[in-house]
Amino acid sequence: MFGALDIALQMDPTAVSNSVNFVWVLVVCFLIFFMQPGFALLEAGQVRAKNVGNVLMKNMTDWTLGVIVFFLLGQGISNLAGQLTTSGVAVDLGAAFSYMMAPAAASPSWINWFFGAVFAMTAATIVSGAVAGRMKYSAYVFVAAAMTAVIYPVMPGFAWGGSGLLSGAGYLGDALDVGYLDFAGATIVHMCGGMAGLVGAKMVGPRSGRFDSNGDSQPIPGHSMLLAVLGTLFLAFGWYGFNVGTQATVLSGSGAFQGAALGRVVLNTTLGMGGGAVAAMVVSNAWQGKPDPLWAANGLLAGLVAVTGAVPHVTWWGGLILGVIAGALVLPTYRWVVDSLKIDDVCGVFAVHGSAGAIGTILIPVFAYDAGGTWILGDPWGFLGVDQLLMQVLGVAVVGTWTVVMTIVVFKVADVLFGLRVSEEEEETGLDQSEHGISVYPEFTAGSSRERPGVSADGGTTGGAQDD
Amino acid sequence: MTDGDIKMVTAIVRPDKLGDVKQALAEVGAPSLTVTNVSGRGSQPAKKGQWRGEEYVVDLHQKVKIECVVSEIPAEDVVDAIAEAANTGEPGDGKIFVLPVDDAVQVRTGDSGPEAV
Repeated sequence: MFGALDIALQMDPTAVSNSVNFVWVLVVCFLIFFMQPGFALLEAGQVRAKNVGNVLMKNMTDWTLGVIVFFLLGQGISNLAGQLTTSGVAVDLGAAFSYMMAPAAASPSWINWFFGAVFAMTAATIVSGAVAGRMKYSAYVFVAAAMTAVIYPVMPGFAWGGSGLLSGAGYLGDALDVGYLDFAGATIVHMCGGMAGLVGAKMVGPRSGRFDSNGDSQPIPGHSMLLAVLGTLFLAFGWYGFNVGTQATVLSGSGAFQGAALGRVVLNTTLGMGGGAVAAMVVSNAWQGKPDPLWAANGLLAGLVAVTGAVPHVTWWGGLILGVIAGALVLPTYRWVVDSLKIDDVCGVFAVHGSAGAIGTILIPVFAYDAGGTWILGDPWGFLGVDQLLMQVLGVAVVGTWTVVMTIVVFKVADVLFGLRVSEEEEETGLDQSEHGISVYPEFTAGSSRERPGVSADGGTTGGAQDD
Repeated sequence: MTDGDIKMVTAIVRPDKLGDVKQALAEVGAPSLTVTNVSGRGSQPAKKGQWRGEEYVVDLHQKVKIECVVSEIPAEDVVDAIAEAANTGEPGDGKIFVLPVDDAVQVRTGDSGPEAV
């Protein structure tokens, strides 16, 4: 017994800390992957029964095609974006794509690639919720590939990994002498996805019947609140991987446990989610007269998005406030998108992922945790300074501008190559039948098909062969 | 004993009254019935639904349709039993119709007419 312990203690502590840390990273990657079924359910619940299969197909495409594209192109383009915008760093195509090379025995480079990939696929999958119910599948496949090859990868290239335009070493960060703070991707992942979704929904146009002849919005209720809320809770579960996992150092190189840092991240994630949901319940109750589960679910996610960039940087009460602000704004923001911008953002991805990410990230310096600062409610607080605040605004502007411009370009190209929309008849029939030839609920959506014989409840066909 | 007439009593009632109606039908000696989920519009006021705070009108209400074919038991008894069991006094309690039936055949035995019912 003691002999074995002695041998363990004589090991290189870095080997132990690396093993612990990278096993942790792998586990959180699997958690983040579990956000994929969350998104699938959330989006499926908010569309009509005749479009569910199409939403599921888009979500599976985001992940399966996305991981291939991100390995072959995305990660390299991300590295190139970092090289191009960092002063004193030469552009080196070979270095940018060196992640493809087989790693040495103790190198975690492919684990690191996978960690980046699960974030990329999260950004990509947000778009499908905004354009559901009318976008052509072929055009969507093109957009998903572009999202994981270029649109998203440039963002982490700009901000993460110690280099890139927005980092302390990049051109912008160097000028202001501070780096952009977005810990786990409130803007880099979520706002990117939310803005791309908003622009996509605008370019594809509203579902037919979403606005009447006066331009007033008409409700198109989703087919299952149950799926939408369960999907939200799956997402929240995966989000612990997203945020707490980004705090990837569990053991320092010398073997010290990083409990306080991990604790701050998990506490702020939890309080932000709670604050977001409760605030959205209160606002929906005031706005509509009754507390609404879909708004509560959206508020929960908006609270999570708002703290995603901030979790290690802000005080616990700062995390709670960020969640409350984002949750309270989710309903008015959605109404503004629909009533003023006249954009049919089916799942409210701009209100949930876009604006919430921007607000939460800009406000990080205001609620910052500062070990040498003023103690408020048991947590030392300090303002991070005007330069940091300016850097946050600039960072949001860079992410927003890049995403909007690139999404417009990609959707334009998709329009030329494939056409963005299905025909009016196909939309009426439902994308499940017209795009995929299937019915997710054969018992009660078969009647929407014009040509195919419906399937009756006992599995036989109707309207087809007659008795001999 | 009746003169061999076959009647169908069709009742459209609140889904949550189905249990009471089944009980009442068993008590008057007419336990056989067919039940269908239906939706329809009558005197019950329209409901407001909402999705993301946008309201829409639901004026087709969920009901169940009960079909009960009788011969020996007088249709009036069946109607009374259903009407009593399904009554709440509020709009939306439903309607009961009595229709003549030309003939009936019991599939298992091949019996026809009142015997089949």
